[in-house]
Amino acid sequence: MTLPDCRKSEPENPTRQKLDSRNILPLTNQTGNRLIMAQAQAHEHHIHLQYQPALPLPNGKLFLWLFLSTEIMFFAALIGVYVVLRFGTPVWPRPHDVHLSEPIGAFNTFVLICSSLCIVLALEGAKRDNAAAAKFWLALTFALGAVFLGVKAYEYQAKFSHGIYPMKPHSLIYERPDVYYASAVRNRMVEITTPLVQQRSQIEEQLKKLEPGSPQRAQLEAQLNQVMQQLAVCEEQVLSVVNDPNVTTEKLAQLSYRIMHPWTDAQGKQHPPLGEEYPILHGLPMVIPGGNLWASTYFTLTGFHAAHVLVGLIAFAFFLPRRLGKKYTVHLEALGLYWHFVDIVWIFLFPLLYLF
Amino acid sequence: MAAHDSQHHEPHDTRVYWYVFFALFVLTGASFFTYSEYWPFHDTPAVGWAFMMAVSVTKATLVMLFFMHLKYEANWKYVLTIPATVMALFLIVALVPDVMWRYEPGPGGSAPSLERIRYAPRPEEAKLLHPPSPHGQQHAPAH
Repeated sequence: MTLPDCRKSEPENPTRQKLDSRNILPLTNQTGNRLIMAQAQAHEHHIHLQYQPALPLPNGKLFLWLFLSTEIMFFAALIGVYVVLRFGTPVWPRPHDVHLSEPIGAFNTFVLICSSLCIVLALEGAKRDNAAAAKFWLALTFALGAVFLGVKAYEYQAKFSHGIYPMKPHSLIYERPDVYYASAVRNRMVEITTPLVQQRSQIEEQLKKLEPGSPQRAQLEAQLNQVMQQLAVCEEQVLSVVNDPNVTTEKLAQLSYRIMHPWTDAQGKQHPPLGEEYPILHGLPMVIPGGNLWASTYFTLTGFHAAHVLVGLIAFAFFLPRRLGKKYTVHLEALGLYWHFVDIVWIFLFPLLYLF
Repeated sequence: MAAHDSQHHEPHDTRVYWYVFFALFVLTGASFFTYSEYWPFHDTPAVGWAFMMAVSVTKATLVMLFFMHLKYEANWKYVLTIPATVMALFLIVALVPDVMWRYEPGPGGSAPSLERIRYAPRPEEAKLLHPPSPHGQQHAPAH
């Protein structure tokens, strides 16, 4: 036995008919009314009802704006947390302590502004059905986005090469010139000196076996001399400071300054940073007060921003091979909205990260 | 809501985009100016911060109004942008007591934990790491 179909017994309901209609047309209201009327004349026995879009904009653009409003909250949260952390911290590193270059940051800002102009001109090209112009400007946008990422990669490299990473074990940043810092320097010095000490004892044993006056002897003695010199540099420049039981905060701060910056000795002689003057002393820990928090926030903010740039580049690469005529106006507008948003984020990141 | 407002007043020539681009270029130069030695307020960084934020807000507004065509859109633009912005601001305000004031004494005179104080960077130690330069300049070249 089957249940009676209730719907059949219901009286004809115009609202239901409206909802059930498979002839709903997602038309814009400018052209919609005319089309509907034409169709109604063609099939007078059918009722065609028009679906009115809630907002006067294409679905793609509406979607993109909804997406951007979530992105506003995402980046506002990141930037907001950065501002709150930065101003709630007793010390924040100065830009040159963390190898930030303001001119490079300003250059990247300029690159993104140029790319914003390019993509809006690409959209104008598509609106006029000038596919060649649209393609040219979109290709230029792509190139500028790639330049931005290239410069960013160079900047990251400059930080990594100085031991500035967002986390241990690669990060060489210490917050204070205290006992923990001294012990970190000692640990690094053990790594540096252990192979030297081994080399020294090997050469000394070889020397014991050789006759005095043999030709190999002079060579080995020169090698030994070199190793001894390097050990002396380690002792003189670093170990004499960190192994001193009466070492003071000032002494450790001075050592850290010599590791990070060019410095002047008591005789007024200029020296480059220790790692550059003596290559054996590379990779020593540094004291950058506030540096760890700086690195975390810097890499988080610029990393998420760079990821957005990368996504934009992928989208550009997807559309570049097509004929970007009038048909692609909505696509290019959506791409442009996303790209301008990425630009706006950088407009705030540049002063906050490089100039504050 | 006037449905076809959106397309009516958009610029027909591209000159306006070039004007906006030029303004953005000049404004970028203006915020970069705070880094130069000719900037007169190096001793009071708050002046520079306020200036740079004003410049950034102006730049963002220009990009939104002209490049993102918000100037020419119907009122839906307020529905999508204002709530998101307001909630983002609420979030920041909500973070202030727990994050921004994390080194400040709490209610009833309670102090931040010893653990927090022990590992925190200290301004007096930071001074040891930055011997005052002979020119008294705040910003040294990066490399």
